[in-house]
This record gives sequence, structure tokens and C-alpha cells, in this order.
Amino acid sequence: MKAIDWERAGPWVVGTLFFCLIIVLWEAAGRSDLPFTTVMPPPSEFLSMVVESGFRVGLGSQAASLDEAVIATFGRVFAGMALAFIAALITGMLIGLSRFVTWCISPLLFVLAPIAPIAWIPLAIVVFGINNGTAVFIVFMGVYFILTIGTLAEIRRVPEEYLTVSGNLGASKWQRWVWVILPSILPGVFTLLRTNFIAAWMAVLVAEMVGMRDGLGAIIMMGRNLFNNELIMFGMLIIGVSGFLVDRILAFIGKRILWWRV
Amino acid sequence: MNSLSASHQMAQPIEVAQPRKVFELDHLTVNFAARKGVIPSPLQSLNLKIEAGRITTILGRSGCGKSTLLRTLGGFVQPEDTGGVVYKQRFMDGPTPEIVMIFQENNLFPWLTVEGNVKFGLRFRKDDTRDKAQAVKDILESVGLTDAAKQYPHELSGGMKQRTAIARALITRPRVLLLDEPFSALDISLKRHMHALIRELQENTGTSMVMVTHDVEEAITVGDRVLVMGGNPAAFLIDENTTDPAMLDRYSSNYLKLQKKVESVIY
Ligand SMILES: Nc1ncnc2c1ncn2[C@@H]1O[C@H](COP(=O)(O)OP(=O)(O)OP(=O)(O)O)[C@@H](O)[C@H]1O
Ligand SMILES: [Mg+2]
Repeated sequence: MKAIDWERAGPWVVGTLFFCLIIVLWEAAGRSDLPFTTVMPPPSEFLSMVVESGFRVGLGSQAASLDEAVIATFGRVFAGMALAFIAALITGMLIGLSRFVTWCISPLLFVLAPIAPIAWIPLAIVVFGINNGTAVFIVFMGVYFILTIGTLAEIRRVPEEYLTVSGNLGASKWQRWVWVILPSILPGVFTLLRTNFIAAWMAVLVAEMVGMRDGLGAIIMMGRNLFNNELIMFGMLIIGVSGFLVDRILAFIGKRILWWRV
Repeated sequence: MNSLSASHQMAQPIEVAQPRKVFELDHLTVNFAARKGVIPSPLQSLNLKIEAGRITTILGRSGCGKSTLLRTLGGFVQPEDTGGVVYKQRFMDGPTPEIVMIFQENNLFPWLTVEGNVKFGLRFRKDDTRDKAQAVKDILESVGLTDAAKQYPHELSGGMKQRTAIARALITRPRVLLLDEPFSALDISLKRHMHALIRELQENTGTSMVMVTHDVEEAITVGDRVLVMGGNPAAFLIDENTTDPAMLDRYSSNYLKLQKKVESVIY
């Protein structure tokens, strides 16, 4: 057997052990009926509850299966983030290509950027109704401005030599955008997308809590309405794990596909 | 060099032979646009002829305007309209694909392989009818990078990076190659290797080259003509023909004399 590479395995082993330790303590607290475990039932309780109910949450006709909730939430987050990513790149390009557009858009951008995505919820519900449109819109608002401002900063960072070289080799303004500026800024903007994933994730959960009937946020609210603490804990667990997984996926893309730095 | 000797042979007895020129600075004045008015550059009403088919090297203290001059030759900087750079019998008014520039760094796109970077030189040339893959292969071979074709810039040494940049410039078959301190980040042995390479490529292709450098040895051994720029407004303090083969020997008296002369002006 090969010796274990502790440099690499160490963090994982320690992290997992500590995580298990917390679970064990939590379970022990549940067995000895410490008061906080009524609002925070330990994993064995809420997991068994979920298994017993056949991975369906809610009552009667309102019941939804868990995988549907997860898929609904993920779909909203990814749709919102993808749209914001593309829109930010397009906005950056328009601003980069035309000074007139810059003058029109930038004041708007800096006024709208500080508005918290949650503040858009009432408006979005009126415009889109209680459906996916609202949730996607909220996610979009949560990351679009920061990505656009980041895109502009990345564009300013593109080495002047790249522009001279490509112009020199006969690239038009438009070709220069596609072949030089876009690849130069993609990794940086993507990193920004990853760091702002948490914001998008928050936005969709809040939107689901106040406006939607499905999704992970709605599960938490359902648990609250039914005084079902097991359901709340389970919802939180799924949210944590899903968020972690998505962050890993984004990190993988950033490292393997958009790996270069200018 | 070839064209020079050729024109000497063809010279009529009556008139003095004039080497073909690629650029002529005619009262060239460059000013930088500032928030209020302009900031004058050291280049004020400058005159100079640069011959075609040779390597002209430019030395000078930091800040004397060498890069500004080179960028103006490339058409990237617009001079005042009281004069300018004459290229092909007319004042230049912008970059042209015939004149390609190589910088000290940031020449290569990090997301493309060596091959990809070199191919980038042909991407926007619709009129080029060559077999692109073959052209890339040939040029990589001439700069000795065949084995590194699939590598990315961050996997290359400084010399390999600059050779890639040179390959990408030469694949477009430019009339003029402008080099702004292209080898200053390299160590001395790599530098000498690159000097030999650039001379060889110049002789094979006949490309006119203008190279800015801080390295006196580089200027003398690579250049067919060495210019030393200085003063504000800038003037050419030394203008020396270095085609004499003795100039390639760093211990010859001619070389040492020129080196001494140049250093007394620069330092
Ligand atoms: N865009 C600009 N705006 C204002 N001043 C400039 C600008 N570019 C260069 N200068 C000034 O013009 C002068 C000449 O600059 P240039 O870059 O041509 O010098 P250089 O000879 O290439 O120096 P170095 O050897 O350090 O590269 C310098 O004093 C510099 O500060
Ligand atoms: Mg310079």
C-alpha cells in the first residue's frame, strides 16, 4: 500500500473528523434532552423523519418531493447566475466599445448596484408573479451589478500590449473584443462569479421563503408554519451541502477550464 | 545588408548611391494629450532616415523617448501634423499590418499554446493563401520551437517566449519589425543566442528592423547601424554604421572604440 500523503489528505481528514465530532456531541445532547435540541433536533431524528415520510415534505396536496425542491432551487440559481454573467460581459463590452454608452449606463449602474436584491422582491412579484421568473430575477439582481463593475475593472487591467499586438495583426475592434479582451477577462469575472455565488444563493433562498411555494427556501418556511423543527433542520442541511457542492463545481471550472491569468 | 551592397553595385557613376529608406522622420513632433493642453514629449521636430532591409538599433537613457519613437513608427501614436513619419511616400496615419511590434513582455496570450499564439498572427489575414498549418510549422522550426508547439506561455522560458513572439510577427511577413527592449529580461547567454537568431532571420527574410535597447553590446552586434538618442528635445548624438564584420568581435579595437564613445554619451 502506498503511504498516505498527509500534506494533501491532512486537511480533509482533520476537517471530516471535526465535523463528525460535532455531530456526535449534538447526538449526545439530543439523547440527554438538552433544551436546545427541541429547536435543533440532532441528525438521527430529522433524517429518520425524512426517510419515514418517503423524501416528501409538506402535507397532503401541498406535499412536494425533495429532489423537486433541490432541482427547482438549483435551476433558479444557475439560470440567474448564467444570465447575469452573460449580461455583465455584454454590458462591459458595450461600455468598452462606445463612450456614449458609457455615459448613459454608468450612472445607472452605480445607483442601482447598492440596492439589495431582496428589495426587488415586491416589485418582481408584481411583474413576474409568484413563479420562477421572480426567483431568477432576484438572483440576477444579486450578482449582475457586482459582475458588471468587476468586468469593467478587468477590462482596464488587460495589458496594453495585447491590444497593440492584436490591432497590429489586423484585428478589428470587434475581433479584438472576441479574441483578446474576452479571453483576458473571463477567468477574473468567473472568479468573481464564484465569490458571489453565496450572494446568489442567499437571494434565491430569500425569494423562495417569501414568494415561492417550492424550492429549498420554501421547505424551511413550511417547517416553520408546521412547527416542524426536523423539517427546518433538514432543509438547512440540504442548503449547506448543496451550496458546498456548487462551490466545488465552480472552483473546478475556474481551475481546470478558465485556468489562465493575464 | 544585401540590399545595401546591391544598391552600391547598381549605383550610376554620376549620382551618389542612396540606400532605400523605409522610414523618414520629417520634423516629427510628438505631444501627449493631457487633461489640460498637452505634455510635450522629447521628440520635437526630429529628422532621420531609416534604411530598409537592415537592422537599426537605438540606444539612449531611460525616458529619452525611445519607446515613444518606436510607437510612432508603428503608427500607434499620432504625431503633430507639422511633420511626421514618412512611410511609403506618405505620412503615416495609423497602424498597418505591414509593421509589427514586439515588446519586452506581455507579447503572448496566456490562453493559447505556442502554436496558437503563432497562428493568431494569421487569423485576421483573409488574403493569405498559404497553408496555415504548414506556415506555422515552418516558422516554428526556424525559431527552434517545434518541440514546444503544444506548450503554454507560462511553461516557457523567457527566451522561448520571445522566440514565439518573433515567430508570430514573422509569420505575417511584415515589411518592418519594431522591437522594444525584446531581450532585456534574458540572461546573457540566451541574449547572445537571440542576437544570432534575429540576425539570421533578418538576413533570410530581408525584413527591416528597428530595435530599442539598453544594452550597448546588443546594439552594436545586432545593429547594422547604431543610433544614440539623448537630450530634451531629443537628438541623435551618435549615428554609426556597424556593418563592418569587425564589429561582431567584442574585443576588436573598432568595437571597443565605439563602445567607449557610446558609453561616454549615455552614462
Ligand atoms: N502617455 C504618456 N503621457 C505623458 N507622458 C508620457 C507618456 N508616455 C511617455 N511619456 C513621457 O515621455 C518621455 C519618454 O518616454 P519613453 O517611454 O519614450 O522613454 P524611453 O526612452 O522608452 O524610456 P525607457 O528606456 O525607460 O523605456 C518620458 O519622460 C515619459 O515620462
Ligand atoms: Mg521604453
